[in-house]
Amino acid sequence: MRHPRERSFPGLDRRTFLQRGAAWGALASASGLLAACGGGAGSDGQTAGLKLASPSEPQSIGLSEDNPAIKSGLEPEAGPLKIYNWSDYIWPRVVKDFAREYGVEYEITSFYNMSEAVNKLRTGRVDFDVFFPTADAVPKLAAAKLLQPVNHDYLGNLESNVWPELADPWYDKGSRYTVPYTVYTTGIAWRSDMVSEDIAAMENPYEIFWNEEYSGKVGIYDDYREAMSMVMLKNGVSDINTGSPKVIAQVKKELIELSKAVNVKTTIDGAYSRLPEGIFALHQSWSGDIVAGPFYMPGKSYGDPDGVLQYWWPKDGTIGSDMIAIPTGAKNPVLAHHFLNFMLENKYALKNFSWVGYQPPMKSIKPSKLVSDGYVVENLRSAIVEKPNFSTGVIQTALPPAVDRRYQDAWSDFKSGA
Amino acid sequence: MPGLGWLVLLFLVPIYAVLAVAMSTRLDPIFATPVPEWNPVQWDPGAIADAWSPELGTVLVRTFIYVGIAGSLSLLIGYPVAYYVARHGGKLKALLLVLIIAPFWISYLMRMLSWVNLLQPNGYVNRILMAVGILQEPRGWLDGEPLTVVLGLVYGYIPFLILPLFASLDRIDRSLLEAARDLGASPARAFARVTLPLSKQGILAGSVIILLPMFGDYYTPDLLSGATRTTMFGNQIYFFLNNGTGGNKGAAMVVILSAIVSVLMFYYLYTVARAAKEAR
Repeated sequence: MRHPRERSFPGLDRRTFLQRGAAWGALASASGLLAACGGGAGSDGQTAGLKLASPSEPQSIGLSEDNPAIKSGLEPEAGPLKIYNWSDYIWPRVVKDFAREYGVEYEITSFYNMSEAVNKLRTGRVDFDVFFPTADAVPKLAAAKLLQPVNHDYLGNLESNVWPELADPWYDKGSRYTVPYTVYTTGIAWRSDMVSEDIAAMENPYEIFWNEEYSGKVGIYDDYREAMSMVMLKNGVSDINTGSPKVIAQVKKELIELSKAVNVKTTIDGAYSRLPEGIFALHQSWSGDIVAGPFYMPGKSYGDPDGVLQYWWPKDGTIGSDMIAIPTGAKNPVLAHHFLNFMLENKYALKNFSWVGYQPPMKSIKPSKLVSDGYVVENLRSAIVEKPNFSTGVIQTALPPAVDRRYQDAWSDFKSGA
Repeated sequence: MPGLGWLVLLFLVPIYAVLAVAMSTRLDPIFATPVPEWNPVQWDPGAIADAWSPELGTVLVRTFIYVGIAGSLSLLIGYPVAYYVARHGGKLKALLLVLIIAPFWISYLMRMLSWVNLLQPNGYVNRILMAVGILQEPRGWLDGEPLTVVLGLVYGYIPFLILPLFASLDRIDRSLLEAARDLGASPARAFARVTLPLSKQGILAGSVIILLPMFGDYYTPDLLSGATRTTMFGNQIYFFLNNGTGGNKGAAMVVILSAIVSVLMFYYLYTVARAAKEAR
């Protein structure tokens, strides 16, 4: 009933630089970046006060009178529905289902990283109806009035079908601008036919990356936040958003050791495609990537009949979620609301999951049923995200620009291979 | 005059824009991305110096080594090919050229992706090399090997060297060679004293055309290696330009690389000017 996903360009995957890179402008005034640049920081570099949200300090994103939500009870427009999404991050067949139901045409436009997408929206010359931002981009886009608030009268499925934590999430209290799309954890994926240890049974599984036995066959994500979070968690630092220069210096040191020990590779497609192909023995992995992994296995091993793919994620590991929003430039805002609601319908959310591999946060999803219904292979049961995971896991939040620069500099020093 | 217009539009304006981002001290209040500073009086040259680090130096040296080897290899392979087609192609000249160029109608990215497949442990390259006995066991071409990256660069850019080389070799007046032979030069000597000097323009033009993009290349090391020890300058630029707040550092790196590469460019222009003078 399933078919392999059709992602085609390694390195150009939707998660290319899952750039929480751009941090919020709020702390720009205190920014060492500006100081370092030698004074003269224009006043416009320091004014607007966007707060940095985090799970412990949830944030309601401000509303403004000149950017209202649409009125209730309107008829959907005639389309075409214009969708702006990560590359290969929605099953076109599900969009087709929607288009058929509403009798409209649709267009899907792809982007490869959030900086690119945000820049395009900021030109103000685009009229996308539906957009897939990341948590850090939402308050910025809302402050710049590039997203419109959503009218919950059209979004009945939000409350009835979605985990309450994400129907009222920390990054957008009250779901004023977004509805949730997918959830995922960041753990370790490996092949039991190439790795002799049972990684999940190790005292500190993260240490497996430094094991010289797997030299040349070890990968981490080419995403500075994910990779650096992993090192912090290995060292027992649970504040993966810390600005501490000491912690960051230690992370850099250990990443360089990782290069020396196993000639580590940084990739975006390693987990979902090159690990299943047998090029990697182990790779840092998003749960959604490895769920799709069996369908990247070549020849007779297609679908992973021997159960070689494994995944480990600790209860206090990294967890995250993605969302859907409606830009202010939308020509079909009512239709877009219907689309958001459609994607939160159990049937279509699950159908989309079967192709995308990233799981929607639906109440109706039962882990054991995902396995028995064939959505997830038995040996990757641990890649299924469960509701309680959100209370134990740690979340990457946006960083103030100065701290962000510190992370980026450390990462680029590691990447230099010096 | 139209030439000047294009120069301003396609060269000076972009360079000015890069400088305006690199040396700006302002950040967008909401998005924390650099705001270009259009007034040169406000520029902060320190930003360029700040972008420099010993680590970046390592990457720069590595980039020069890779590009140097890849450029030389391209010349060693490309020159005989261009020479053969120009001199011995006969009626098949056009066909041979098309055949050389044909694979390059496919995008660079797709060609690199095919190499990823060919170079896998159980891919055709390993299988063939093992079948003929050159390798005893599969070689890990994709395990972060500098050699693979350099060969990838050669394969990716070589047609752009062959074409200008062919053009200049094809233009050489054969009677000059005949004259050299008549006057007693051996074939090797005729080549060294006549053909080679006369194709110097083609060598230079072709080299500039392939070396410049090689300096900025980032997807070849990304796709064929991914290891930190093969990171090139372009990778570092790409990283900073794609991460919101890092935009000005990325732009500063572009300025550094452009300045260094300009030296190469000036040498080329100088040689062209001198050759033009000699020709008169």
